Amino acid sequence: MSDPAPKTTNLLQGTLDLLILRALSLEPLHGLGISRRIEQITQGTFQVKPGSLFPALHRMEEAGWLAPSWGESENNRKAKYYRLTAAGRKQAQAETEEWQRISLAIAAALQAT
Amino acid sequence: MQNLSYFARLWRNLARRKDVEQELDQEMSAYLSLLADESSPREANLESGGIHQLKEQVREAKAGFFMQTLLQDVRYGWRMLRRSPTFTIVAILALTLGIGATTTIFSIVYGVLLRPLPYPDADRVAFIFDHFSPQNAEHGTMSIADYLDLEKGNHAFETIELFRQSLFDVTGAKDPEQVQGAYVTAGVFAMLRVQPMMGRTFLTGEDAANAPGVAVISETWWRHALGADPNILGRKVNLNGVPTTVVGVMPASFGFPRPSYQVWANVRLKPPTFRGPFGMHGLGRLKPGVTFAQAQLDTNAVAHRIELENPKTYHRMTMPVVPLRDGLVGNIRAALFAFLGAVFLLLGIAAVNVACLLLARATAREKEIALRVSLGAASGRLIRQLLTESLLLSVLGGGAGCVLAYAGIAALRAWNPGNFPRIDEVRLDGMALGFALLISLLTGLLFGLAPAFQTGRDKLASSLREGGRGGTAHAGRRRLQSALVMGELALALILVTSAGLLVRSFVLLGQVNSGAQAPPENVLSMKISPIPSTYRNSDQIIPFYQRVLERVKAVPGVTYAAISDSLPPDRQNDYDTFVIQGQQFAPGETNPAVTCPIVSPDYFRALGVPLVRGRFFTDHDVENAPPVVIISESMARRYFPNDNPLGHRLKASGPDLNGSPYMEIVGVVGGVRYTGLDDQPADAYYQPYAQTMYYQRTNLVVRSAGPAISLANSLRSAIREIDKDTVISDVNTMEEALGASVVGPRFRTLLLGGFAFCALVLAAIGIYGVIAYSVAQRTQEIGIRMALGAHRSNVIRQVVIEGLRLALAGTALGIAGAFLATRLLASLLYSVKATDPVTFAIGPLILIAVALVASFLPACRAAMVDPMIALRHE
Repeated sequence: MSDPAPKTTNLLQGTLDLLILRALSLEPLHGLGISRRIEQITQGTFQVKPGSLFPALHRMEEAGWLAPSWGESENNRKAKYYRLTAAGRKQAQAETEEWQRISLAIAAALQAT
Repeated sequence: MQNLSYFARLWRNLARRKDVEQELDQEMSAYLSLLADESSPREANLESGGIHQLKEQVREAKAGFFMQTLLQDVRYGWRMLRRSPTFTIVAILALTLGIGATTTIFSIVYGVLLRPLPYPDADRVAFIFDHFSPQNAEHGTMSIADYLDLEKGNHAFETIELFRQSLFDVTGAKDPEQVQGAYVTAGVFAMLRVQPMMGRTFLTGEDAANAPGVAVISETWWRHALGADPNILGRKVNLNGVPTTVVGVMPASFGFPRPSYQVWANVRLKPPTFRGPFGMHGLGRLKPGVTFAQAQLDTNAVAHRIELENPKTYHRMTMPVVPLRDGLVGNIRAALFAFLGAVFLLLGIAAVNVACLLLARATAREKEIALRVSLGAASGRLIRQLLTESLLLSVLGGGAGCVLAYAGIAALRAWNPGNFPRIDEVRLDGMALGFALLISLLTGLLFGLAPAFQTGRDKLASSLREGGRGGTAHAGRRRLQSALVMGELALALILVTSAGLLVRSFVLLGQVNSGAQAPPENVLSMKISPIPSTYRNSDQIIPFYQRVLERVKAVPGVTYAAISDSLPPDRQNDYDTFVIQGQQFAPGETNPAVTCPIVSPDYFRALGVPLVRGRFFTDHDVENAPPVVIISESMARRYFPNDNPLGHRLKASGPDLNGSPYMEIVGVVGGVRYTGLDDQPADAYYQPYAQTMYYQRTNLVVRSAGPAISLANSLRSAIREIDKDTVISDVNTMEEALGASVVGPRFRTLLLGGFAFCALVLAAIGIYGVIAYSVAQRTQEIGIRMALGAHRSNVIRQVVIEGLRLALAGTALGIAGAFLATRLLASLLYSVKATDPVTFAIGPLILIAVALVASFLPACRAAMVDPMIALRHE
């Protein structure tokens, strides 16, 4: 049994959720695909480790934001694909707005000095 | 919607774990193979951080993770419990006993004292009593005159109603039958806010003096005695000889004032010509906003006016207002709280016992726990595991305890030890089950916490190194264990002392003589109720009883036959005040009321009441002969201390009642207890039935040379020969009556004695466990000592002394506790003080003896140790 995740998860989790939701906004992807896509859309800033990614995927699936389906991967193996549900799209919308608000506020705060 | 899907997933994660795991497995291996296509397998493995850890991280994020580990803990705990069945069985038995007893008594306390009464807003309804000199009953009954004054004069109650309990002789249907019921005023049902299941209740005015007889009957009686007759409404039955129309049926849930009541007939409020007779219970519903205290002031003001207007009848008069529940429950409260205290002590002992067992077992598990710590288990996680195990124990014990409580309640209801009001309403309901669950969890936490934290604190690394062999790390645990056992012994001693006091007082009560010296199994009594309409006055009643006595005397086996309206040990029928001719009183004062039985000549011979001086009544003491009276020895001593009472004259009902003649004292007889064996022999004056008989109903008493119970049937048919409609009830021997009169004390003694016995057994197990544990820890040490030449007796002595030290310390604590606790028992004791030195000496001796035996067994085992084996012991 390992210790629970560190306390700083909250902020990171929020970020990770948003990134996953954005990554899936175009098409359903499997785990590795999501991780590559996040790397791509953040221009390599975020490299999501599987130890964070998969727990988040399962949690979000249970929250009803993602729906799983089994499909063929590019190397012809059975892989679990995730797609956004309607609730997931709404969540993506809400979290995007929230982040925009925060980043604007932070940007303003940084400029104020 | 989201919540719904969450629960669906929770269910899937918990119940279909295999599928979930399989999917996770597939997902992960797909991920790894994809990763492997991009880089080398080694890198892939490194990047993923190990597939098992990854899977574990996913599992932790999933719904129901907490529950899954809980289930895991429970499963693991269950395996651990099964691995040491002796420990598990002893622990569960102790808890079953503790929780079962506590739940049983709680159910009774709840059912009797706490459960809402089955009447809407019953907490606004009160009994109203009379309290005055010379009646002197704290909650005495009132007369119709008092009722009318109270109804007119009070401002606190919406309405005031009356009821008078009565045994109804029912005739005209099938066999004559006697049922419990009450005469009530017309508004009682409306005031209690209850509805009939059929027909109606009483109409306003149906309690008028000239109203026809009407009755409301219970569903139970309607079904059982009247065959659930669908045309019951309007049917006529004879109640005490009065033709009465049944107008309504109350549902079985209604039983006022008790469930045994089957018939409620209308009382007829004849305009009173004097302040009596008493026997009426007042009932009232408080007006909105009026408190009981205000109502009390109000009724007392009425009582004061009544007293001022009737100075000859009442002195120091009040009208106590008692909430309905208190009035129904009576004085059972003290006994119930004593029981509740006792079972909580028992539960405490059981919990401490299990804590000791857990501590001892923690030693056996040291290696396992040390291993788990070294593999990375956090101490919080370990404590949780241990607590899960103890909660598992307590929940198992609680479940078994509920079964025990169910059986216990059923047994108590079947036995119904006489003095339990509302016992029919006691059951193992949701409230009791909730209580059982609560105390199970609480005790589980309590007895689990100490061992769990003790384990958490142990230096586990060192115990791993020592391989579980006892080292200094155990000192703390042993101290804790000793302290627990001392506490357990102290609690047990409180229980043993309390039970001892009850046993002592019950034994003393058993030695009390009722005053009747005939062998109790040779005396048989029965209540005879001739139909009132046939025997309206003494001209008709006295000849009836004369014929009954003559006929009964002719029954083979009957030595003496007599009638009396009062019987020992607790069937006082009437009490009244009196005045001795020549006695002077200050205005408003009078002699206290005393028992005044009305008896036939052979009554004293039948019971074996000794004649002290003078003579018994004879067949010549009849209506036209000079009025005579016999007084009891104690009354003679009190009122004629230096004088021969024979020849003096006294008069019933005190100085103020004119009309009753002075009666000459012709005899003095031994004292008889009429108000219970725990009371003093009553001051009493006896009158011959042929001069005073005015009750139809009385008791027949016969004495035979041998056991009298076999006479019952021939006596019954002898009486029926004279009048076949006579109701015969309460047939029992004096032996049975004596037993029945102490059924309450006997029950209390048995129950508390049972609890104390359980406490002793548990305490013995506890001390045995501690000593056995300490012996097991010191096998090597003992082996060395014996190898060096110590005698077996030395070893035994040393171990026993260790147990004795524990016992003495626990006893000292327990004596102090018992001094405080037994005070609460004082009201249940008969002629024994709550600090009775005999009991306080014997209790500790018993406890110490038990402790000695319990430590002797492991001591012997220690002495049997073979030094060679002990030294190699690992």
